[in-house]
Amino acid sequence: MNLTVKNGSFYYNKSTPIFSDINFSVDSGDILAILGPNGAGKTTMLRCITGMLKWRSGQSLLDDEPIHTMPMRKLWSKMAYVPQAKSVTSAYTVLETVLLGRSSHMNVFSAPKAEDIEKAQYALDLLGISHLSDKKCSAISGGELQMVLIARALASEPQVLILDEPESNLDFKNQLVVLNAMTKLSSCGMTCVFNTHYPAHALQRANKSLILSRGGEYVFGSTASVITEENIRKAFGVEAVIGEIETSGNILQNVIPLKIAHGETENADDRTKRSIATVTIIANSNNMADKINGLLHEYGSLMVGRMGMPYRECGLYLINITLDGTKEKILELSQKLNILPDVSVKTTFAKGDFDKVGRGDILE
Amino acid sequence: MITMKTGKLRTSWCITLIVLPFITGLLALGIGRIWISPGEVFSAIAGVFTGSADIPVLTKMTLWNLRLPRIILAAIAGAGLSAAGCAFQSLFANPLATPDTLGVASGASFGAALGLLLGFGMIGVQATALVMGGIAVCLTWLGGTGKNKGLGTIVLSGIMMGSLFNALVSVVKFVADEESQLPAITYWLMGGLDHTSYEALALGAPPIIIGIIVLFLLRWRMNLLPLSEDEARSSGVNISVMRGITVVCATMITASCVSMCGQVGWVGLLIPHMCRMKFGSNHLSLYPASISFGAVFMIIADTVARSASAQEIPISILTAIVGAPFFIILMRRTGGLAR
Repeated sequence: MNLTVKNGSFYYNKSTPIFSDINFSVDSGDILAILGPNGAGKTTMLRCITGMLKWRSGQSLLDDEPIHTMPMRKLWSKMAYVPQAKSVTSAYTVLETVLLGRSSHMNVFSAPKAEDIEKAQYALDLLGISHLSDKKCSAISGGELQMVLIARALASEPQVLILDEPESNLDFKNQLVVLNAMTKLSSCGMTCVFNTHYPAHALQRANKSLILSRGGEYVFGSTASVITEENIRKAFGVEAVIGEIETSGNILQNVIPLKIAHGETENADDRTKRSIATVTIIANSNNMADKINGLLHEYGSLMVGRMGMPYRECGLYLINITLDGTKEKILELSQKLNILPDVSVKTTFAKGDFDKVGRGDILE
Repeated sequence: MITMKTGKLRTSWCITLIVLPFITGLLALGIGRIWISPGEVFSAIAGVFTGSADIPVLTKMTLWNLRLPRIILAAIAGAGLSAAGCAFQSLFANPLATPDTLGVASGASFGAALGLLLGFGMIGVQATALVMGGIAVCLTWLGGTGKNKGLGTIVLSGIMMGSLFNALVSVVKFVADEESQLPAITYWLMGGLDHTSYEALALGAPPIIIGIIVLFLLRWRMNLLPLSEDEARSSGVNISVMRGITVVCATMITASCVSMCGQVGWVGLLIPHMCRMKFGSNHLSLYPASISFGAVFMIIADTVARSASAQEIPISILTAIVGAPFFIILMRRTGGLAR
């Protein structure tokens, strides 16, 4: 289901807008991460998106239908909201709590029927927490409670899931449990929107991101284009590096904050600066080798050197290229290579300043 | 026990909750300064249907004109106060909320005191109490809802309105005639079911019964009341309407109870908590249990009040003396406020 925000603006006090003219759109299977420093209005934005708070101007649309004209019941049977686990009164048992999520499907005077209980149990099963069903919500851990709240949201069989900092206040393991649940749901076609304090989670899980700065500026787009060192410095005032951590199966992207940025002066990562880099590529199939060649052709203007050889005994293709161009272009190419399946890519930048040096080929 | 799976009551509990108040009522019919054995009570009841005339007139008088209306009133008021307490505790997500949280009881007390001062009859006093209770809640609502309408403001406003009306009661007491009116007012404020009649019941019972029934029908929805604002909104239920209905019903019940039997404390706090300890917080079972045990508790309390000593004991004194220690024992045993 498509969720679109058009020209959304909100303020408590007219002279100091929280945000103005927000535009974005997410579809089935998308995960959108909303990032921003404390007090930038992430939660306010979620409340505006869901219609719990009214946009001062602009609107949210669910499949082109404005949210504010939809009846509550209809809206909340398509969309579900997962609050932070800490703000929850917890006098009910887990199953009772999850059943509350069925409210939008029930008549005013009715109690949960067998069908509702089935749906609630299905939601618990899906998240792997059915063993908790008879426990009191006050007697389970924070991570479990967060999962229960997600289950409650799922019980209403929504197509859009809105989560307010679902992985805050949780330990490493529970963060993964919650993030995995979200990834799983989106792969089944759920549209997920979540607030987070962790740019790394956006990089690893979300295909779209939105960074909100204090003062209402924002950037929205594909995660790779939004979560950049530059944008993090602008929004959070922190010098950070985005690095990769290799594991045997995966290359995970991570954001490591280095220091608090002072003013605009330091510009360690000028993406328009001329850079020299070598990229080492190992492909496992002929098929991929063709795609790689296509990409290399596309970025031919950067290419100053190229070496390639097959290692037939192992079915590998080894390619080594040297690039000369703006850092932005080089990173773009390496990211495009990186997302190809069965391809390993490593990019190494040369140290030094090359702006005044002329350009020539290394190899004839 | 109850089936924890859905929070619905088991059939055996359903029957118990329905039958228990009636059995208690039947037993209470026989107890009093004039002892009527259960056998006599039964033959008297049978006599009503068969029309047999060999029941002593004194027995008939005692049973039908004195005790029955009192027991009906006790049952209805107990059930009502307990239901209203249960509703308010959920509405304000606060275990200390009582039927009086919005200032209803203080308003109704002022109404009654004013009625007594002006020399109205019993029905007149009841009517003014009912009206003033309603006015007090309206004022609380007006004062508490505004730009930043939160339930916290309404509770605060209720406390203010409560103390305002308590002050007004003091004003009435101050100007009242010391010989006749002041004792009447003081005695009335202590609460009691002794001035009951079928006429008073006809005026006071319907609001209580209607309130109880409406909340009963909405009992599953009441589970949404303690949720935080955003959670409640995202359930797809119009939570403001739900809150409004709860307040109107609980207010109607409380004002009506106070107008008939004065300020009877503790029932609205004690019974719902006891039931929470046993049945959990799901209103599907908590609410019916509160109604039933509220009725039973009040019948027992009133029976003791009228028969323990030659002089009738004001019921609010009794509920507090029995209720407070009992509640503390229960709380210590179960380890806290059934959370």
